[in-house]
Order: sequence, then C-alpha cells, then structure tokens
Amino acid sequence: MYGKKASELVKEFVSCEPGQLTTFNNVLFAQVIEECNGHLLHLQPLMRKIQEHENKLKDNRRSEDEMAISEDEKRKSEAEKILIQTAMKSDQFGALIHHLSLVRNKRCLMAYVYNRAEVIRSLGWVVDCVLPEEIEEKLNSSEKEYFKNHAATLQSYMSELDLDLTVDMVPPKDPYVKVRVLDDIGEVVLSDQVANLARHAMLFLRRTDAEQYISQGLMEELTG
Amino acid sequence: MEPGAGEDSSTDDYELLISTTDAELLKRSWRNEKAAPEILKFEAALVQRSREQIHLMEETVEEFTRNAVDPLTVSLYQMDLDRTLFLLRSYLRTRLQKIEKYVLHIQKTTELWNRLSKQEQKFAVRSVGDLTQHLEQSVLTKLPDQYQSHLKQSGASEDDDMVPEPKLDTYIICRSKKFLGAFQLDDSGEEPVNIEADDLYALPYKSIKPLVESGQIDLV
Repeated sequence: MYGKKASELVKEFVSCEPGQLTTFNNVLFAQVIEECNGHLLHLQPLMRKIQEHENKLKDNRRSEDEMAISEDEKRKSEAEKILIQTAMKSDQFGALIHHLSLVRNKRCLMAYVYNRAEVIRSLGWVVDCVLPEEIEEKLNSSEKEYFKNHAATLQSYMSELDLDLTVDMVPPKDPYVKVRVLDDIGEVVLSDQVANLARHAMLFLRRTDAEQYISQGLMEELTG
Repeated sequence: MEPGAGEDSSTDDYELLISTTDAELLKRSWRNEKAAPEILKFEAALVQRSREQIHLMEETVEEFTRNAVDPLTVSLYQMDLDRTLFLLRSYLRTRLQKIEKYVLHIQKTTELWNRLSKQEQKFAVRSVGDLTQHLEQSVLTKLPDQYQSHLKQSGASEDDDMVPEPKLDTYIICRSKKFLGAFQLDDSGEEPVNIEADDLYALPYKSIKPLVESGQIDLV
C-alpha cells in the first residue's frame, strides 16, 4: 500500500525515547525514495495523457464552433466528448492519487529528518564540538555535517556576545560544588585555582568550571 | 494609625523601587520569554546595562578577595553575581532556542524579524542556511523536480505550507499589576473578562498579546 513504509519510518522515530536517536535507517529511507520515484514514473505519462485529452476536447469544441455541421455529426461529436471526458477523469483521479501519495511521502521523510535535526540541535547545547562515539555512529553523514555547522554557528554567536551560553543550565544554588573526578584528566588551570584532576579525587570547584566536565561525564557532583 | 500609615507608604515606595531595578526587570523579561510561545522583543538596553553591572560586580569581588575581606561576604557577592549571570544567560538561551525552532517562520515575518537583535539575526541567517543545506542533502535532491522546495509541499501549493509556526493560542498563566477592567478576549462574541490586579488568569496567548507587548500583563 502506498505510504506504508513512510509511516513506518515516522513510527520508528516516535518509538524511541524523546531526546534519544535510533540509527539512521538508510534502508527504509532508500525504499521510500524509490517509491516516490515510482510515483513519478506513473505520474508523468498520466499528466501527458490528460494534456492530450484536453487538447482533443479543445479541438472538438473548436470544430463545433467553426464549421457548420449536421445533426448527426453533432451527436457524434457529443458522444466523443463524453468519452474523452470520462477517460480524462480516470486519468485525473489516478494522477491525483500519485501526487497525494508523493506529497505524503515527502512529508514523512521531511518530518523524519527534521525531527532528528531537532534532537541533534539540542545535543549541540550539551556537548561542545566532539560527539561521543555511541551517538556518532547513529547519525547519517549529512547529520554529522549539520551538527558541526550548528555547533560552529552557536560558537560564533557566543563569541560575538562574549558570553558562554552553554554553562549555567540549572539555576545556581551554591557558588562552589563538591565533585568527584571519574577519569584522569591531569593538571588543569581553572578560573581561580590550578587543580590536579586525578581519578577519584574530591574537590571543591567553581560551578561554571565543573559544569563542563559534568556534562561530558568526566566528573560527578556530590550532593549531601 | 500614624506609624501604620507611614509604614504602608514606605513599603509601597520600597516595592516601587524594587520593581524598577534592573535585576527585577531582567527577571520579568526572563519569565515572559520563558512562558510565551513566540519570541518577544529583545531588551537591548536592559541586557547592556546588566552586563555592565555584572562586570562591575566581578571587579568588586576580585578586589575583595585580594584584600582578604571576610569570605562570607565575598561568597554572598559571588552568589548574587552568579544568579544575575544565570538570568542573563538563560534569557539569551531561551530566545536562541525559540529562534532555532521557528527560524523559517521568523525569517518570513518582518514583525518577528524586527524583534531580534543584530547578532541574533546573523545567527538566524546562518541557522537557516545550515538547516536548508541539511534537508536538501538528505531528502530534497532525491525527490522529483516539482517537490524539491523545503517551503512548499509541491509545485502546486499556493502558500509556503511546510514552514512550522508557533502555536499562538496556547493557554498561559498571567497576572496583571493594575486593574484593567472588562477586556474583550476575542471576536467570537464571548463576554468580556474582568481583569483585576494581582489575580492569576489562564488565558489564550493570542488574546492578551497586545497587553504583554505594552507591559501591562506579566506571564508567570
């Protein structure tokens, strides 16, 4: 049935958790595109036939107006006209179905790509420029490019304003937070101290500094 | 009665003073921006003033730490600084996320476009370029000719029907500071609503849009 595969694609996107992505389903995507091309192949000859029918009708009408014809011939041309119109109607309906299916497939494909792009955009706020591997393997090559472009656009806006907008995602409760380091990072220069971020070290860091590491998963906040 | 009346007027004065400080104005703009479904006007002067004040505060805090002032005072100032910074960042971030979401619609509507700051406009232009390129690369070039527009569904569509628009009739919770009297919600012939001061109302955003713009109603 037309449009079934496209709705499967959309359902797949909806079925995973909001904010998470499944691997880009290249196979299904290519199948839907093929279906669209199939529609086009049906559509083009139908449109041509409709055009031919219209031309025939025009000729018919012109010949009726111009020449003075007998009753018999008039009746014959009326019958011809009705035949042409019925044939044209069935062609028009067929063309309409192909056109509408094509438009629906286009909408499903666009919705799939657009919604995935939205999830990618929200990733750009959390992660800086480098994607973690598990996410990267789920993306299409075009999506990876979009992520890079979007991150660059965000960076250019922030550098124009001279303000980092990716920190401070949560309202601040304390100026300093206690963190435990999960991975070895080494000596790091922070805004007010030079710290040695060795594994399992517990430190008091400025909130804005710690947020960057927490979002990358290299540190965890100790509450209470 | 005399001291009572005196206290009343002084609390009124205090409230008036508080409500016009930059911090309060920033908080108000931030709340409105978070609650509204579409993007509101950019408060350029407010943002500029806030940034200057933040800068001043940072220098003050640095001076205090250098002169070894009582650490409690320093951390209080630091806390205040952090909170103002958070408001500013969150305000700009909310606006940016709204722009990202509805960028095609904003580009088409001049009224909305004029509500962006210069840097936001540059950001919007780049973001549209990125998105269109991505859509074209992955979907549109593979479709037949008449169906390759990212704005229209097909060559036969009259309007740009593939552009997502913000839903202006979502209900939002609001409060007015003054008594506004009978207010006609919309043209459907319903009775006008009495808007009193300091009462909470849940109304569709579309009907109170002009009031929000003129600053008479606050979104909560």
